[in-house]
Amino acid sequence: MKTLIIVKEKDYDWLRPIFPGIHPLLVPICNKPFIEFLIDFAILAGSDALRLVSDGPLSDVEEYCDNGIRWGIPISYGSFLSSDDMELIMEKNHRYCSGERILSMNGFLFIKYDKQHAYRELFAARPEGEILSCSKGSLSLTGTSGETTSCDETLPLSLLELDSLDVYYRLSMEILSFSESPYVIPGYSIEPYCHIGRNVVISKSAEIIKPVIIGNNVQIMAGSIIGPEAVIGSNVIIDRESTVKRSIVFENTYIGEHLEVQNRIAAGNILIEPESGISITMDDPHLLTGIKSSRSTERLIQSLVHRVLALLIITVQLVPFLLLWPILKIQGRWKKSINSYYTNEEGKTLLLTTTAIERKGAISLVAAALSLDRFSLLFSVLSGRLAIIGSGPIAANADKSAAFHEMESWYKAAVFSYAEAEEWPVSGSEKAIVERYFAVHGNPLLDIAMTIKAFLNLIHEIPAP
Amino acid sequence: MTFHVDTSTGKTLGIVDLSGRLDAANSSDLLKTFAQWQQQTNLFIFNCAKLDLIDSSGLGAIVSCLRKALERNGELKLSGLSPKVSMVFELTKASKLFSIFPDTGSAIQSF
Repeated sequence: MKTLIIVKEKDYDWLRPIFPGIHPLLVPICNKPFIEFLIDFAILAGSDALRLVSDGPLSDVEEYCDNGIRWGIPISYGSFLSSDDMELIMEKNHRYCSGERILSMNGFLFIKYDKQHAYRELFAARPEGEILSCSKGSLSLTGTSGETTSCDETLPLSLLELDSLDVYYRLSMEILSFSESPYVIPGYSIEPYCHIGRNVVISKSAEIIKPVIIGNNVQIMAGSIIGPEAVIGSNVIIDRESTVKRSIVFENTYIGEHLEVQNRIAAGNILIEPESGISITMDDPHLLTGIKSSRSTERLIQSLVHRVLALLIITVQLVPFLLLWPILKIQGRWKKSINSYYTNEEGKTLLLTTTAIERKGAISLVAAALSLDRFSLLFSVLSGRLAIIGSGPIAANADKSAAFHEMESWYKAAVFSYAEAEEWPVSGSEKAIVERYFAVHGNPLLDIAMTIKAFLNLIHEIPAP
Repeated sequence: MTFHVDTSTGKTLGIVDLSGRLDAANSSDLLKTFAQWQQQTNLFIFNCAKLDLIDSSGLGAIVSCLRKALERNGELKLSGLSPKVSMVFELTKASKLFSIFPDTGSAIQSF
């Protein structure tokens, strides 16, 4: 069986002004883009291919879903004219549809299903025809299956017309209310009513009240209260003493200190009351703001500070290096290796000469204490290839690609790592949390202080490639 | 912003009509003029019916006016908050500090 999703622009146009910059099919429902719920259902129903057709632009959706490899189902895309009727739309897709059983999802609809049900068998036994319909669309089967029986059994499914913000908000709250979600929700869940993503930093004095769904790279500061019924998107910062309940916070949003977000949707610097649809755009960064990934002026200053620091450390290390390096080299305790590491730019790598000093004898201990193993890397800071402080360089190999992908948004390959400065474990998820924290809160002054701390710490290890 | 005195209830009430934006650009003006209005009364109603937007500076100025009024055993009530302005008051929990009325008439009657 194949699935054909037909979405008309007029059915989702209402969402565009509310969440500008997000394609309506990618609007997150409980931190999962809407289209993914449709893809999940198509797979559950037994589809082995999916085609998405619309009379509106699909480039953003195409970029996100690509060829469907993430879900293990080939996804193709097509278009039709707004004036086309169903017959014409099916005709335009006849090559995709020919000779196959087709599950058509027509409309901007949320399909309420339960992942526990065996929809594959239920659909296989279903005869051709409409399965479910509502005023804004339908779910239907065309073509016959070998297993078809005359089945009048009601399928454990229902359709929800996504036609207002209130419906969207209530749906999110409904999904939150399941102790075990009938849908696949991102994040991990070790207890009912709770899904938490990766790199979530929750202050000891913060309170999390279930049900909640929290995305990746979220920071919840001291004294904050999250929940009940809160959806926190990825890359969100909830600042001190703030409360978020019965609300949805979209990704890349900063919620300022001492605020109360209740029965609201916060998306960047937009605050929306779902029931009335009234929204305000905050001009005030102290209250609510979008988190921007690039701060060009600060980055420039930071880069200059890093170069000056590198130069200073080179000056300090030069004499000890010239004295100790030949001795360690002769003793065989100065071990160099050249490896490829990920850079800050997506998909790019750089070759670095890293050094390991075998800690045996007084000379090698002095060399390690002076961080002479980092001496050669400091020149990469001067050329702008490395930062002086940031994340420990990640070796570019297949084993580490998944780890790198998780850190990509904030990773900054550096000579010293924030984790070293804080004397946290220099590997594993704890290191990632520390590095992520400082990457978000980093500023040139803090970098100076952290570099000095890291330089003065005695034991450094560049992770083995 | 304009100021006038209402004595219909037998008390001298200072009615301040706020309009447009109340933000960092004009919140200091409110604080300065509020000190002058306090020479006439310490019972105030800020009519926000024509206030389109308020930010944290504006909120800070209104809270500061409330504090100054309370210091002299006065009161400051708000009226006619638009849904958008009301959202900012709720977001910042400032709504818990003030008595808020749907219109100036009901605010006057409350004194």
